[in-house]
Amino acid sequence: MNAPQPSGRIDLLRTVPGLKWLLTRRWFQFAVVLPNLAFFYLFIIAGAFGSPVGSRNIIIIFVWILWWFLLIAVMVPFASRVWCTVCPIPFFGEWYQRRALVGVRVGRPGVGRNRMWGFNRHWPRALSNIWLQNLGFLLLCTFSVPLLTRPIVSAIVLGGLVLLATVLHVIYRQRAFCRYVCPIGGFLSLYSMCSMVEVRARNRETCDECTDKSCLAGGVTGWGCPWHVYPSKLDRNNYCGLCMECLKSCTHDNMTIRARPFGSETALKSYDEAWKAFIMIGLALAYSVALLGPWGIIKDWANPTESGKWGGFALYAGALWTLTLAIVPAAFYAAARLGRRLAGEPGMTMKEAFLGFSGVLVPLGLAAWIAFSIPLILVNGSYVLNVISDPLGRGWDLLGTAHTPWMPFHPEYASFLQLAVLLTGLFYALRSGWRFAGERYGDRPAAARAVAPVAILSTAVAAGFLWMFVG
Amino acid sequence: MTARRVFHVAGAVIVVLAGAAAGALLPSAAPAQERRIQMTARQYAYDPPVLHVNRGDTVRLRIRSLDVIHGFYLEAFDIKASIIPDSPYLELTHPSRKGERVEKVEELVFVADKTGKFRFRCSRVCGNMHPFMQGELIVAPNRLAGAGIGACVGLLAAAAIVALRRDPGLS
Repeated sequence: MNAPQPSGRIDLLRTVPGLKWLLTRRWFQFAVVLPNLAFFYLFIIAGAFGSPVGSRNIIIIFVWILWWFLLIAVMVPFASRVWCTVCPIPFFGEWYQRRALVGVRVGRPGVGRNRMWGFNRHWPRALSNIWLQNLGFLLLCTFSVPLLTRPIVSAIVLGGLVLLATVLHVIYRQRAFCRYVCPIGGFLSLYSMCSMVEVRARNRETCDECTDKSCLAGGVTGWGCPWHVYPSKLDRNNYCGLCMECLKSCTHDNMTIRARPFGSETALKSYDEAWKAFIMIGLALAYSVALLGPWGIIKDWANPTESGKWGGFALYAGALWTLTLAIVPAAFYAAARLGRRLAGEPGMTMKEAFLGFSGVLVPLGLAAWIAFSIPLILVNGSYVLNVISDPLGRGWDLLGTAHTPWMPFHPEYASFLQLAVLLTGLFYALRSGWRFAGERYGDRPAAARAVAPVAILSTAVAAGFLWMFVG
Repeated sequence: MTARRVFHVAGAVIVVLAGAAAGALLPSAAPAQERRIQMTARQYAYDPPVLHVNRGDTVRLRIRSLDVIHGFYLEAFDIKASIIPDSPYLELTHPSRKGERVEKVEELVFVADKTGKFRFRCSRVCGNMHPFMQGELIVAPNRLAGAGIGACVGLLAAAAIVALRRDPGLS
């Protein structure tokens, strides 16, 4: 229990007064989800019945401008998957399974020691990865322009996610939807690895000696981990949804939340995770060109329901899928292969090299997405004032700010912020590649040769984004 | 942090800054001149989409709309105008001047006295993709872009120096 802290970690439950008390209250998650749930349904109502003009409808401004920026630039880097803590999408499904909003049930039939309703089926083994999330997110992003600009489309997609989550909760045990299906969860799992907080066991030996494994199986004080992970064995953030159940269920007070340096983990362990990294950096590139670029023809292609250019859309969609699923992976495969050959030693298999070096795209991809999102919030942030006073765009003025003129907030400084963010991302990418090579090769020259092609490719990617934003 | 580590970090920072400085040392642009540009605006783009000028150039910009009312907000230059279809006039305001009356002008005139890449955006809601209707004004020499690319290369060089130093250990 009194094991020393790993280097650079701070046990937040022991250093922040009141935090442990708060997070171990059974009502904690319900209390944070409830207001979010109310807003979420307001957004869906606004999307369905409010103004069709995106900039006058709260669902577009709050979800795709404000929420997106907070998610990618604040929540993920600083608080891992805290969005999953407060996410309202699985609320009804989880309530159906538990028949409890706050309390815990034990008994049969159920999962582990917890009494749970529904069919409680195991998620299919063949789908126990994030490929569904990869393809689902890519599919949504292919239709990003209608999704980001038309309130009714956003309402249908968000409402559809609630429906799908509820159905899957009825059929499959625990949070199978969140873990394997949610398109947002896929990139949260990837980029939460960079985050500055982690849920971990304080002392592994305590876990090894523990016989009741209540973090996994549940107990009278907490549900077994709904995310299908074994909390005491957590060594990466990817699939921990920060629900805090393990903090409550652990009978040895051995689970905690720690602060840690940014970019502490980047190790990708499977192809589905690597392809998530490729898809995300490819999408950041494509969005930067299509949405933030000046070229009208590409905007027309991305917006076929309005432009009528379905042939162009086919080209756009084909380019998007080819870039993310084939070109970016091929470039990283070639760099990893070349590095392995240059190192001249059988330090690792090609699969290990490919997956290991793909990890450089975790910090770099996160930086690219933050850089992409900076001008969006600076330019469009003032619409928040309009829609909080007139959420449905129906001419109301509840707070007296409905007619506030559009006021970009110093967009001319976006370039400097983007530059700083991309350089930071490149720094962590190079460090990630170097550390991986260092672990695999005993001597410094071999490690340097192994990482060199990936480092050059990462630098080229960062420079490419920079050129797009600043050049 | 040990003195040795401080030395390494300082060295790496110097290499990165040297890269940035080298990248920023772009040649000065050609002498200033007057540039007359005809532009059209349509849902959701400007044509030409990118304007290349040199620092000190006087830009005279005429814009007409091909479909609906559009706006033209040029960041960093305090220019905001409405573009009315079938009208020879642009309705010009300066966002920094509160309470200013709208001025009808035939062309927007400004001196490109800042360098870098600046966006001009539609400032009148013009349709679904309105928030993404934008173009670029690039004023040479774009030293920020040069510095950024130079810093990337400097970072790579610093990483290479760190990787190839003779110290034992790989951390």
